[in-house]
Amino acid sequence: MTPDLRCYGDDLARLADLVGDFDLRSALDVQRWYTREWQALADVLGFRQQLAAAPTSIPTGGDRITAMNLAGLAAFEGALRATRPGITDQQARVQSAVLRQMTALGRSRGELWRVSIDPTTLDSGACFTDQGRMARAFYPDTAPGYFGDGWPGPPPRAESACGWTTPLVLHLGTFPWVYSTRLDAVGPGVRWTTASAKPALEGLHVVASLMEPRTNLAQDARQVAAIYRHFITHTAALVSRVPAFVQGQARPGTLYRRGEVLHVHQGSLHVAGLDGPRGKLAALAYNYVLRRFACFFAVRRATVRALPSLPRELQQLAQASADPCLRQHAQEVAHAS
Amino acid sequence: MNRGFWITLGATLGVGGVAFLSSRRASAASSSTSTPTNQPSNLPTIELAPLPTAADVHGDLVSNWGDTPTDLRPLFMLMEETSKIAGSARLFAGIAFRESQFVSSAHNGNAEGEQDERDSSRAAYKNNKDRNQPLKYGEQSAEFGSGGLFGALAPYFLWTGVPEVGNKAPLLNAPPELVFQPRAAAFGATVYLQRLLKNYRIDDHADIKVGWANPSLLGTGRGSDKYHEVRTRFLDDMKTLGIDLAHATLPPELSASAWPGVPAVFAALVGTLPKDLA
Repeated sequence: MTPDLRCYGDDLARLADLVGDFDLRSALDVQRWYTREWQALADVLGFRQQLAAAPTSIPTGGDRITAMNLAGLAAFEGALRATRPGITDQQARVQSAVLRQMTALGRSRGELWRVSIDPTTLDSGACFTDQGRMARAFYPDTAPGYFGDGWPGPPPRAESACGWTTPLVLHLGTFPWVYSTRLDAVGPGVRWTTASAKPALEGLHVVASLMEPRTNLAQDARQVAAIYRHFITHTAALVSRVPAFVQGQARPGTLYRRGEVLHVHQGSLHVAGLDGPRGKLAALAYNYVLRRFACFFAVRRATVRALPSLPRELQQLAQASADPCLRQHAQEVAHAS
Repeated sequence: MNRGFWITLGATLGVGGVAFLSSRRASAASSSTSTPTNQPSNLPTIELAPLPTAADVHGDLVSNWGDTPTDLRPLFMLMEETSKIAGSARLFAGIAFRESQFVSSAHNGNAEGEQDERDSSRAAYKNNKDRNQPLKYGEQSAEFGSGGLFGALAPYFLWTGVPEVGNKAPLLNAPPELVFQPRAAAFGATVYLQRLLKNYRIDDHADIKVGWANPSLLGTGRGSDKYHEVRTRFLDDMKTLGIDLAHATLPPELSASAWPGVPAVFAALVGTLPKDLA
């Protein structure tokens, strides 16, 4: 049988279709799909020109996805270099160190999409010096929001030098929209850049890695599915009230539903959005976040389908996964082959 | 974008949610969310090309744009590249920031407290109709107020190009609602900037915004309270938006010496209008 996403729920199979299916064993398919996804990332984050200037030849080696992701990240880095700093050097250095620690923790737990940590256990305490005072390096995003019902605890075990009283929670899978309660038009993480440190690059690296088979398989899809369903629960009613786009009848500057995403006809998506019980939801953020979920499950589907042709260690990774759906797929593949 | 600019509009969607478009004034997006009254029903459908993308321009879309929406930067850059007014892209962004908060359907003149905008468009039409080419939708433009990305007064927008090409001006048969199409608004703004640069004393970038508000402030009104007020507001706007006027992307002096002409600019930005509007 052909593995699919039904084990996770029909809603996730439909979600993955949003970004199309592809065959991981086909170099051309991979090139087309990843090119399109990087272009979509670049359009939102504003580095399309840098991406267009990146090498476009089809990587033929076994590591072609890594090669394309590296090219995309290099393009993003090029754009960051030309962007004015959004934070201080001190904050950026602390953020970079924290992101490295949180990424390592998330990978080890199989929960990289959303990482929660006691900030007082981090080397820096997630604090930095701002004009002689200690300040938190990240926003304490613990109120109910679009990605969850809040994370008030457990409180830090040690006293925080900068006032942390809650866990530090980052949604790295939807970087730069890392905060559940801040889905504004500009993802907060995109401002994480200075001349000396670029935590924003590390954030996008996580996004890119979740499109690689290895990291995708290592991520517990149940965490992603739960966050996605929470997001949909709190946005579906808002989005359903937006008028559907009809070609030839649309008015300039109006916000529409176009397929599964939001669209402003003859206008900027950056200035449109919805206002709901969980706060403002920028149209741009909505589309981006939805696409990140879709990409995750599209890569999961393609990876599981291609599992027999993937390295043995990836097959073992799938067979030993805490995710029962992935284990089931891996066993079916093992039996079939 | 600065959170302070996000204004919730009165288009209640139920379940406690509302659609919003950030805008200078609460009425600015009413045409786009709930009030289907702006477009007269007997008008042909006007569907210009979509917004240009990064692939359509050559200039830098990353440096010194501040919080200018990334999906509008190519339009501003296309205006600069088409007009050959080096450095104008970021000034257009700053002007759009003030005039519309980047909302293409911004409409100043359709709310209770915007009588002054309607008065201005009425005066613009009344005082100029006898010395300009006739407008097919002249009366509507007089009642329209101002609108679009760059806050153009409707009659002046529709007369765009008249001083340069007379009755070949391309918008004489168009309705004022055309200003909501970003490419058409861009055409009007580009021609206007060229006119300011060629016909008025422009000492610095802030003078351009003064001319945008009222060109008489560049002549007899120069040095007046209003003149200084507009300048100060513009400099504050650019700072808020995050565009550095001293950056290398903005020459200290803008020049329209390489202006290619109204027809070329119209063709590059707008293309062609439907037959009955052309």
